[in-house]
Amino acid sequence: MGFDFGHFVELLPDINTAFLQTIYMISISLAVAVIVGLPIGILLYITDKGLFWENQAVQSMLGFIVNLVRSIPFIILLVALIPLTKAIVGTQIGPAAASVSLSVAAIPFFARIVETALREIDKGVIEAAIAAGATPWMIIKDVLLLEAKSGIISGITLTLISLIGFSAMAGTVGGGGIGDLAIRFGYYRYDNTIMIATVLILVILVQVIQILGDFIAKVVDKR
Amino acid sequence: MCMIEIQNLSKIYKTKKGEVNGVDNVSLSIEKGEIYGIVGYSGAGKSSLLRCINLLERPTSGHLTVDGVDLTVLRGEPLRLARLKIGMIFQHFYLISQKTVYENIAFALKAAKVPAKERIDRVEKLLEMVGLSDKRDVYPSQLSGGQKQRVAIARALANNPKVLLCDEATSALDPTTTKSILNLLKKINQELKITIVLITHEMNVVKEICNRMAIMQEGRVVEEGAVYNIFASPKTELAKEFIASVVSYDIPETIANSCEGPLVKVTFRGKVAGEGVISDTLQQYQVKGNFLHGSIEYIQDLPLGIFVMELKGAKEEIKQALKYIEERDAQVEVLRDGV
Repeated sequence: MGFDFGHFVELLPDINTAFLQTIYMISISLAVAVIVGLPIGILLYITDKGLFWENQAVQSMLGFIVNLVRSIPFIILLVALIPLTKAIVGTQIGPAAASVSLSVAAIPFFARIVETALREIDKGVIEAAIAAGATPWMIIKDVLLLEAKSGIISGITLTLISLIGFSAMAGTVGGGGIGDLAIRFGYYRYDNTIMIATVLILVILVQVIQILGDFIAKVVDKR
Repeated sequence: MCMIEIQNLSKIYKTKKGEVNGVDNVSLSIEKGEIYGIVGYSGAGKSSLLRCINLLERPTSGHLTVDGVDLTVLRGEPLRLARLKIGMIFQHFYLISQKTVYENIAFALKAAKVPAKERIDRVEKLLEMVGLSDKRDVYPSQLSGGQKQRVAIARALANNPKVLLCDEATSALDPTTTKSILNLLKKINQELKITIVLITHEMNVVKEICNRMAIMQEGRVVEEGAVYNIFASPKTELAKEFIASVVSYDIPETIANSCEGPLVKVTFRGKVAGEGVISDTLQQYQVKGNFLHGSIEYIQDLPLGIFVMELKGAKEEIKQALKYIEERDAQVEVLRDGV
């Protein structure tokens, strides 16, 4: 059984819906990951030893929570978060519901990426800003975020691609999206056309995101 | 008047191997408007001392006042405001690579809450002063080392500081660029009356622009005074070593061994016409002089003449001749008695 073009055209509306659902899920969870993960990443960095908000307690606490969430396999997180999902979205199936678990998984992932990107900055530049009398907020905004801009953009690319992988997994519990389609039609019904089409879409999506992400990261870098 | 007063300042670092005295009970007074050099080998504590002045490092004990304000008691916002009046430049410049030259300088003005409109004029003026008006919208990666340091200087001077701290500011630059940066620092010192404290391991830098200096070793100041005086009569071995790195009066062993008469080093300070005194001496006494080394160094535009010569003649005559030279305000040091 190979690729049946007629069958593919027939299922095009379904593929289209699934594709949009995937975009919807990863957009929401990426937005949440950036909005929540970025401050956590910054906090992880500036509370570290020798930095201007050095705070051992906050550092270890935050680090522990981040590691904890990251150590839970996504598939288990998906199930464990059902009560939370129900409380927030009202249902436990569909792309909106899947976005909750995806966001929770993406936040600590992105936070660590931000922290790593910030560590790349020469400490001397931060010190020079302190010597110039800059406020902590100025240092975060004009030094840390600006100098790590390129690394953070690469981190967003990385997070986005991981989210595509996770979103496919969310399909197994009825999350919707391309992954859901692949499992329901491609796997359970041995529909090779759908299988090939969905995999192809995912491959193209990942390639496009990676190329675009690399391009943007390079263009914004003034080094 | 005193601009920076350092009293019994110590900085102890806690490491795995125990406590290390970065700065060990240092007391210094740096006058308003002078250029003060702190010299030492790496690890001597000069960098720690400098970083204590704007509290990038918090001293473990001791007191420190800058323009009459005790900085060691300040924290948070008051400390930040105090730092606006203390500029600092670094060996590796530390500009924000993602900001243009203009934005880098404006950053310091933003810290002082200078309104956006005034920033534009102020940056233009600063760029003019450091000679980089045409590089306004360029990113640091497109600048040479010397140009980066000029931007860093403009940033450090943005808020009209009273003090400029220079942390090995010329150590990453080639000799020609070093010279131009030193000239710029001198100009800033003279025109803006800014007190400059610089640390360096290059004695040349100190000789070029400093009025007074301190030599540090193992966290302590081992010698301190006017640069001219230290060059003319260094007291410690370390000072002699540093001076020898710029002006060396070593006589090759074989030459020294072949000398019959005593070897003497004669130092003329200030306006004394060195050669005149020596020729007078040689005329008045039955002594022959054989020059082995000699030069006149200009330190802060003051001549410092140092000559090494072998004196030949009767012992008594030589003694008289040396006495005569000393009477004419020169300093005589017998390096080696005759055979």
